[in-house]
Amino acid sequence: MKYQFEVIPSKCIGCRTCELACAFAHAKNQKPGKSRIYPLAYAPDKYVPVACLQCDDAACVKSCMFNALRRNEETGAVELDKERCVKCGACVAACPFGCALVDDVHDEIVKCDLCGGSPACAAFCPTKALVYKKV
Amino acid sequence: MVHITINGKVVKATEGEMLLTVIKREGIDIPALCHHEAIEPTGNCRLCMVEITRAEWEGWKKHVTSCLYPVEDGLIVNTHTPEVIEIRKTILDLQLANCPNSEVIQKMAEEYGIYKTSYETVPEGDNCIMCYACTRICEVLGKSAISAVMRGHKKVIAPPFGEEPPDCIGCLACAQICPTNVIPWTDKDGTRTIWNKKFDLITCKECGKTIITKDFADYLMEQRDIPKEYFELCDDCKRMQTARKMGEIVTRAQEATL
Repeated sequence: MKYQFEVIPSKCIGCRTCELACAFAHAKNQKPGKSRIYPLAYAPDKYVPVACLQCDDAACVKSCMFNALRRNEETGAVELDKERCVKCGACVAACPFGCALVDDVHDEIVKCDLCGGSPACAAFCPTKALVYKKV
Repeated sequence: MVHITINGKVVKATEGEMLLTVIKREGIDIPALCHHEAIEPTGNCRLCMVEITRAEWEGWKKHVTSCLYPVEDGLIVNTHTPEVIEIRKTILDLQLANCPNSEVIQKMAEEYGIYKTSYETVPEGDNCIMCYACTRICEVLGKSAISAVMRGHKKVIAPPFGEEPPDCIGCLACAQICPTNVIPWTDKDGTRTIWNKKFDLITCKECGKTIITKDFADYLMEQRDIPKEYFELCDDCKRMQTARKMGEIVTRAQEATL
């Protein structure tokens, strides 16, 4: 893994710009996609952006019966191969962090793929609570 | 790495790949109903027919189903020649006679200029095109709960003896993969019904949203080593739980630095 996606909750102001950036970065057929990142409040006015943690021993990868989820060695992200996905929802049920999602608009399963190496959420974060950097 | 020519353009492909995979990757739109990357190709719908030739064939050419044809070096592929379009039209015409009510096939046929079949339509057709995508995906799962029964025009996809399939886990893979959406299923009052078998659904402990069937969760726990507690909450509540846990860590870290 050459890059690291860093989340700094103390800097997050819960503006949800990342959510918008994500939805627009994954737009298809003139419709925004479902956001893969959510800044959630754990206490009043205290936010933490929740996105896929790209686990080493990922439950979604283990649960997928059709090998649709595979790790991209370049970015370190677990990517979903839409051509192989059957939309059975095993990964959605298995992910302990709730970061595999069902996109009802486009009728597909989605998860964070780090935008293939340049995450839109990190680029748009106004307070730099999300950082994508080289290690 | 091999080089093939698709519609006059030289493209790279990996050895062992099927032609249809390469054609789709190149963004060329050709119809296919029974194709899915998760299952082995069988060439049942025959819509992905293309014309192939080689430089040394001296003008000879043949028509093959691209989903079943492995790429080879020097292959020249044409996806939209008049002959190929004529073949596809005939197949779509026949499919339309077989499933007159299927929206997917109606749409595909319309693209090829067929609005009404020239054959006699099948009375009481159920829109199943006998592509076996459902039985093949069930085989990938290692369950094979459904298969084709009877012969000839009476052939249907059904569970053993038309009863509740004992091996079915209610994962809906068959219903999701079906190209013409003919496998009916319902989720109602905490029960999922598919193939006339009833399944208990796991509901989220906090919000009550349905997650998956109990049998499916058991399958994932046994075969895939997923811990039981992962299935207790729905994805929204799990995300909230993650936020709370992360918040705890942040607060503890901040207190420690003070």
